[in-house]
Formats: sequence, structure tokens, C-alpha cells
Amino acid sequence: MTQAKKILASGISEQEAIERAKQGDAECFEALYGLHKRRVYSLCLRMTGNTAEAEDLTQEAFLQLYRKIATFRGESAFSTWLHRLAVNVVLMHLRKKGLPEVSLEETMEPQQEDGPKKDIGARDNVLAGSIDRVNLERAIESLPPGYRIIFVLHDIEGYEHNEIAEMMGCSIGNSKSQLHKARMKLRDLLKTSRAEKAIRRL
Amino acid sequence: MTCAEFQRDLPEIFEGGGSLAHEDHLRTCHICSDLVSDLRYIAEQAKLLVPMEDPSPKVWEGITKSLEREGLVKPAPARRGLLAPQRASWGLLLSIAGLLLFAIGFLFFHENAESISGQSSVAMQPAPADASGANADDEQVLQQVEQRDPGLRTTYETNLHNVNAYIADARQSLAEDPDSVEARGYLMQAMEQKAMLYEMATRSGR
Repeated sequence: MTQAKKILASGISEQEAIERAKQGDAECFEALYGLHKRRVYSLCLRMTGNTAEAEDLTQEAFLQLYRKIATFRGESAFSTWLHRLAVNVVLMHLRKKGLPEVSLEETMEPQQEDGPKKDIGARDNVLAGSIDRVNLERAIESLPPGYRIIFVLHDIEGYEHNEIAEMMGCSIGNSKSQLHKARMKLRDLLKTSRAEKAIRRL
Repeated sequence: MTCAEFQRDLPEIFEGGGSLAHEDHLRTCHICSDLVSDLRYIAEQAKLLVPMEDPSPKVWEGITKSLEREGLVKPAPARRGLLAPQRASWGLLLSIAGLLLFAIGFLFFHENAESISGQSSVAMQPAPADASGANADDEQVLQQVEQRDPGLRTTYETNLHNVNAYIADARQSLAEDPDSVEARGYLMQAMEQKAMLYEMATRSGR
């Protein structure tokens, strides 16, 4: 039985595990790891698109959690606090390695390549009903890093543009613009993938 | 409104900032209508993505190793004090394990000590500990570390303290249940860790 399951089975709530982990209880910390590792790892994996990096960052996020858990005051949900910590760990890492961050000079003007394809005429070209999770995950992985980060933070993790702007050090308009471009790029990727599949079926 | 104008405003439209002119364009332009429909669909599908994959076990191993290295937690077996000890007769095994470790440690360190020039010959193998778990060799090793780099002494002191606590826990478990193979393994591990610590402390000075 995993430590997390043991803790839960023994009737200790997550809140109690947090309080005990604050006092340095290693087993409760392990339980918290068990409860949150999947989501933290997924966040790291989606933001970096690289398994090895995601594992290193998950490790770093939980190490920081151990060091900082005593500062958790319960003003937000523990998971929210932890995920924000993990996002900061990933962003710090990406900055260190030269993150292709959102350009501060970015304008809201749409780029030529970001517009919809003009040769799309038939109504059956819409994506609705044709995306499966695997394809979408794959397409997200193929996004340029700058787009991917904002897409993951906004559309998957549910952060608001003002929060993203604060984390990324860019304007709210910039965050909106990058998100839009990310979705546009995803649309292209998904349509290409669908077209390739159709060709293979012929 | 043209498609270009509509698409320029799309980021704001998605944030609820669309106007009547945008709505009119959307009703009459199937290209822009399909585009909006696709982008909405992508955003909706993204919200449904759930974390499916666990990190590999080596992530947790890395976390525990780092915490142990930093002296923030005791080595794993020392945290298992809550585990009920098993019954077995292992006083003899303990002695054998101790002798083996002593011999291995002595041979290893004897061989390596020769390459340490100008250093006093500190006993490299963990010597019997006193009640607190520390022993005279610990202090000698710490003094050696301090001479080399005063800032490192605290780190080694913490690590030695932890590994001594680990050894004490393992010995206690062994005393309570001399037949426990698990407890014997803990003690072996603890002794090995202490030997490694000694080795790291002296090797870094070469």
C-alpha cells in the first residue's frame, strides 16, 4: 500500500497530513507527494514537453514544497498553492535555459501565418467531434514553447490572464494574444493530423 | 466588417468582448464561424484533459536522496521505527555483518589513505559509537573537513548526526528482534552509509 493510501486509510485527512508535514513528518510529506505527484508531473510535462525535464522539475517542485510547506497559511487551497509553486519552478527553469518567453513587444496584430486557411470552404472541415485526447496531447506537445506554456496555464490549468501575465512578466494583452496564437496553431496541427490520417485510410 | 478585422479582434471576442458587428459578421461568414467554433472546441477539449501519467519511481527516490543529503530527513530505514520488529536470532548475523563491514571499510580506507599526503591517519572505518551515536572518529573526520573548508563542517556534522541516529535506530530494532533480516539489512545499510560519508569527507580533500 502506498504511503498516501496508508494515510488516507488510517483516517488522516489531507489537512492533517499538511499540518504534520509542516512539523517535518516525512511520512505525511510522502503522502502529500502521493496525492499530488500526478498533477504536478503532468503540469511539468505539458509545460516542457520533455519527460526527463518534467521528472527533474517534479522533483525540484516537491523539494521546494518540503522546504516551504511551513509557510503555507491556508489562504488558498493546498493544491492551488502547490501548483503555483510548481509553475514557478518550471518557469524559473525555462528562464535559466533561455525560455522563448512571450515577447514584451508583442502586439495584438494577428500575424499573416496565424490567420485561418482561406482554402477552407467546406463546412465539414470543423474540428468538432474529431479530436481525441491523444491527438490533442500530441498537438500541444508540438506547440512552440512560448505558445505551449500559455496554453497549458490558461486552457488546461485554468489560470486567468492576469495571473499568467504576473507569472510570465508580460502584459495581459500579450497573454491573450499568445493564447489565441496557440489555439490557432493547435487548430492547424489538428487539421493536418486529421488530413494525414484520412490520406492513410485511402 | 471584414474577416481580417474580425480575426484581429478574436482574442478579445473570446474574452467576452465581442460587439454586435462581430456577431453580425459571425452569422454571415462561415470561415470565421468555423474558426470560432474550432477554437472554442479546442479550449473546451483542453479543459477535459486530466493528468494520466505518474512520474517514475526515481523521482521520489531523487527527492528522498536530496532531503537526506541536505540532512532534512533521516535516511529511509531510520524513519521506519514504527514498523513492528520481526523475530529471529540475529545477534550472530549482526556480529558477522559488523565484522564484514569493518574489514571492507578497513581495507578500502587503508588502501586509499596512502594517497592522502600530509594528513594524519584518521581511522576511516566507523568506530563503535557512544550512547549518542557519535564517536571519536567522527570528530576527527569533522576536524579534517573543517581544516579544508570550514563551511562544510556543519553539513557533515548534520549528516553524521543523521547516520548515527539511523545506526542507533537499527541497533535498537535489532536488539528488540534479533532475528529480523530487515533490521539487519538496515544496520548494514547504516554502516555502509557511514563508511561512505567518511570516504566522501576524506576523498574531497584530495
